[in-house]
Amino acid sequence: MQRNAGQKLNTADALDSLMQAARGGDQGAYRQFLAEASGRVRAMLARKIGSDSELEDVLQECLIALHQKRHTLDPGRPVGPWMYAIANYKLVDHWRKRGRSKMVLDDEADMAVDADNFADVDVASLLDELPEAQAEAIRMTHIEGMTNKEAAERIGIGTSAMKLRVHRGMNRLKDIVEEREND
Amino acid sequence: MTDTQSLIDQLAQDPARPVGSPVVPFALPVIAIMALCGMGVALVFSEPFLSVDLYGWGPMLVKWGFSIALLLLCVPALWILGKPGRRSRWAVAALALPFIPVAALLIFEMAISGLLVAGETWANCLTAMAVMSPIAFAGAILAMRTLAPTHLNRAGLVAGLFGGAVAMTAYAPFCPEIGMGYMAVFYCLPIFAMAAIGWFSGPRLLRW
Repeated sequence: MQRNAGQKLNTADALDSLMQAARGGDQGAYRQFLAEASGRVRAMLARKIGSDSELEDVLQECLIALHQKRHTLDPGRPVGPWMYAIANYKLVDHWRKRGRSKMVLDDEADMAVDADNFADVDVASLLDELPEAQAEAIRMTHIEGMTNKEAAERIGIGTSAMKLRVHRGMNRLKDIVEEREND
Repeated sequence: MTDTQSLIDQLAQDPARPVGSPVVPFALPVIAIMALCGMGVALVFSEPFLSVDLYGWGPMLVKWGFSIALLLLCVPALWILGKPGRRSRWAVAALALPFIPVAALLIFEMAISGLLVAGETWANCLTAMAVMSPIAFAGAILAMRTLAPTHLNRAGLVAGLFGGAVAMTAYAPFCPEIGMGYMAVFYCLPIFAMAAIGWFSGPRLLRW
């Protein structure tokens, strides 16, 4: 748990120092900053939207916004809250443009879990806290490596139902991990 | 190479270009609109500070105390709202503070002499508020658009309060009325109306 907190701190520090170097005119640092920001924002978006192509669209909008609005980040302030606020705004704006805020379920998004999230975590004990159907769905798709379709066929349910179980299970797992970190 | 990667390469081309401070582009429309409103009322109305000659500084200080306090609280609130990731809740909540003494004085006045709303110059007052509030609101919107507000309703609301506060500050020296009921109806209600317009129009006007 402490290591996770340390990892997050280091990532935040990395963003801060990269942005600081970029402000000094370091082109390489700015490229690195955008790449790092891209990874972090992608992970955030993956938790909120499913469709891969939609995710890339929003991610690119976020990167452009971060670039265009970089003057609104006060020197000395941490980059993280600023970056996520812009990303969240762009996501909501994207939903508004699309005229909906419906959750899209997608294999790729639910498989694309940020590695940091479950590092050093006893996955078996976490799965025990989930309803059996969701735990089974995650075991098959994330541990045994099946696709949603294969897992659905094995237990005789529809692919959409399997996606839903995986999605809900993953969301619940993230909540449990966060609750444990906060304790 | 993915589209996102090529976008990153493209964006990374100009980090060396100095990023200008946002203070000047933000402050310019705010200051310009305040000066414009001040000059506008001075040209249209006459006999400034008549109420001071008639009743002393008390009523004038109440009006200006309220409107200038609201104005001074609106500017930092707008600035904070324009910076993504900054906590704006307290800055926005603080905008209620100037209304508290006004409400207290209104209650006191009502207890002493009942609600005194009438005033001979109410039409001038409403006209000044109706004309200048939207102009000052537009200035605040221009200022906000140089930043990156992410809570658009909230930012619109504060821009509306700013518009009303500027209008009241500019017109108050020319207003001979002194009742708190009058102030509540002909100043505070237009300010609330402008704030409501700001709340509803914020998402359209401030979207970026």
